[in-house]
Amino acid sequence: MSKRITIDPISRIEGHLRIDVEVDNGAVSNAWASCTMWRGIENILLGRDPREAWLFTQRFCGVCTTVHAMASVRSVEDALKMEIPLNAQYIRNLILIAHGLHDHIVHFYHLSALDFVDVMQIPKADPRKTAALAEKLSPWTRNSANEFKAAQQKVNAVAASGQLGIFANGYWGHPAMKLPPEVNLLAFSHYVQALEYQRKANQIVGMLGSKTPHVQTLQVGGVSNAINLDNQATLNMDKLAAIKLLFDEVIPFVQQVYLTDACAVAALYNDWFKIGRGVTNYLAVPDLPLDTKGTQYDLPGGYIMDGNVSGVHAFKTAADQDFRSGVAEDVAHAYYKGGTLHPWKGETVPDFTDFHPEGKYTWVKAPRFQGRPMQVGPLAQVLVGYAQGHALTRKWTDYALDQISAVAGKKITVNDLHSTMGRYAARAIRTAMLGELAQKHWQLLVENIGKGDVTTFNPPSFTSGTVTGVGTHEAPRGTLSHWVVVDNGKIANYQAVVPTTWNASPRDAAGTPGPYEASLLHTPIADPEKPLEVLRTVHSYDPCMACACHTFDPSGNNIAKVKVL
Amino acid sequence: MKRILIAGVGNVLLGDDGVGPYVACLLASRYDFAEGVRVEDLGTPGLDLVVHLSDADTILIIDCVSDDKPAGTITTYQRADIVKHGASIRIDGHSPALTESLMIAEFTSETPKQIALIGISGKPADGVELTPPVRSALDPAIEAVLQQLDLWDIAYSNKKVSSPLEVWWEPVMALL
Repeated sequence: MSKRITIDPISRIEGHLRIDVEVDNGAVSNAWASCTMWRGIENILLGRDPREAWLFTQRFCGVCTTVHAMASVRSVEDALKMEIPLNAQYIRNLILIAHGLHDHIVHFYHLSALDFVDVMQIPKADPRKTAALAEKLSPWTRNSANEFKAAQQKVNAVAASGQLGIFANGYWGHPAMKLPPEVNLLAFSHYVQALEYQRKANQIVGMLGSKTPHVQTLQVGGVSNAINLDNQATLNMDKLAAIKLLFDEVIPFVQQVYLTDACAVAALYNDWFKIGRGVTNYLAVPDLPLDTKGTQYDLPGGYIMDGNVSGVHAFKTAADQDFRSGVAEDVAHAYYKGGTLHPWKGETVPDFTDFHPEGKYTWVKAPRFQGRPMQVGPLAQVLVGYAQGHALTRKWTDYALDQISAVAGKKITVNDLHSTMGRYAARAIRTAMLGELAQKHWQLLVENIGKGDVTTFNPPSFTSGTVTGVGTHEAPRGTLSHWVVVDNGKIANYQAVVPTTWNASPRDAAGTPGPYEASLLHTPIADPEKPLEVLRTVHSYDPCMACACHTFDPSGNNIAKVKVL
Repeated sequence: MKRILIAGVGNVLLGDDGVGPYVACLLASRYDFAEGVRVEDLGTPGLDLVVHLSDADTILIIDCVSDDKPAGTITTYQRADIVKHGASIRIDGHSPALTESLMIAEFTSETPKQIALIGISGKPADGVELTPPVRSALDPAIEAVLQQLDLWDIAYSNKKVSSPLEVWWEPVMALL
């Protein structure tokens, strides 16, 4: 008999993500992804000065604020056909890289690892055996038995107190938890270390962006960081050296610890390479521009349809003509009025009906590219790059697949990446790549300043009449695009098509489900009261419903509820 | 030196939820504080909050509160109220907010934090403006902040000349 499971932070008035699944014979037979909050940002921007839009758009979200600032300034620059000074490109790239490193570390260790790592098994682990295992896997210097013992003692203290605190509400002892105690301890010890390294990465965002969350140094036309090597108040050699020191600590962490742990978890849960395939159309845009006009990029973009990786189509630029003309949003199952519209013509007129699985059931629109649902995020980034023979993508993907295969004792290939575990692995691969590119872009910035170039800003000028622009950014969660229409220097329309909109997309008018919905199908469920397996697949996308609202709820009602009907 | 963080949190795009950042801006514009005190509009942090909490020994958060009290009611919450419910099942990256960030900051640091929260009852809604009852609660909220600082023996003084109020998200009245 089929059971219906709803996972929903139901009592939180602003709500976030709600997942409904039907379970038949121990596996998911139907799924709906729903965002329970209306996002009216687009309407707030109407009539405003396009130069200040980024200040507002980065308040969309509480996790990825920087990315919305970046896409916003790029959209206006695209509308005005601006060139961006090289220093500004490099500074922005370093901010984006540092943000990506921070975000991915947090996602793996603090938002999703505990779906696979059973903290309550840690007291049984032997720290010396854990150290011996760690030494086999990685050259990381903080893998001593003492380090593991200290982490174990923290868990023992929490377990003994009976107040689980941050570990309350985990699915401990769940039948789908399979790691040996030593691997649980290894991963958990790195969870603690990761708190330090995500913070160092975020410090870089703060140093270049002057504040985080919510950077302050972007401008339409460049950045407001002044460069003067002889001035203590500006970006100078001391600050650049401090940034390099932080990168030098964070990069070994992501390459020797995060990637290694992700590969070990992937190898020991390799059945998850067969679960969560979902939508195999992939989309990524190029990013990390290398010149003022945006013709060369360090990260490739393009699209893949129907899992046909060798048939990849490349995007030449971050606002490629195919991309500009290919995106439209369908509202057949979303709480909006209107039909399927290109973002420049997009409308944000609410039409709330409550949750109707056959009708309207979410505040997320259904974005489509050439009429198809697309999966975005690290897996799309890795597959699009790998298919084009992008050297850096190949290097780290092949390295990761070798590590996973060695631990799993069986061959895991690129074809296995179309899966829940593929998304976790791809995110770690992308992070290792970002680490390597951090060093490169720091070097590029320093060399360019060394040539005597201190320009960071080209002032924008608005003409009368209407212009349109699209700003893209290949954000941690995937392809982000802001679409702006400027009329006589004021915003006449503004639409943001965010990564989670692509992935958490509802069905479209033709009934085709979005990536979350499609990838939940056939997921095995051991215990409907504790749908850990659903969370694993949903978390593999790193969901971020773009509707942050941090009202403190003293009743504790914001605790997510699982309802089984 | 004690490190003290006074932080307004909330989304300035969601009506009353922006009251925390608003109060932080007012405090920064009207008062000078003892050395070691930082006043910040932290906007909408998720786990980003951990860094800010880790960097402080004493933390005063100002936030909109969703409860059944009339809009504009001010309640000071102490640490036990904040941590009493533990962490929730995380569905998305927004879920770990204040409570969880505080637990993580304390899990990794040696000393417990001194923390309180000035809550202003209100209702998040579309738009960048506070509702009238919450706007009327701005000065009382500042009083509540100062009272808490007095309890903690943290010094502050009125500025002779207020610095500009940086509530950039509000429509500019002069143009209307």
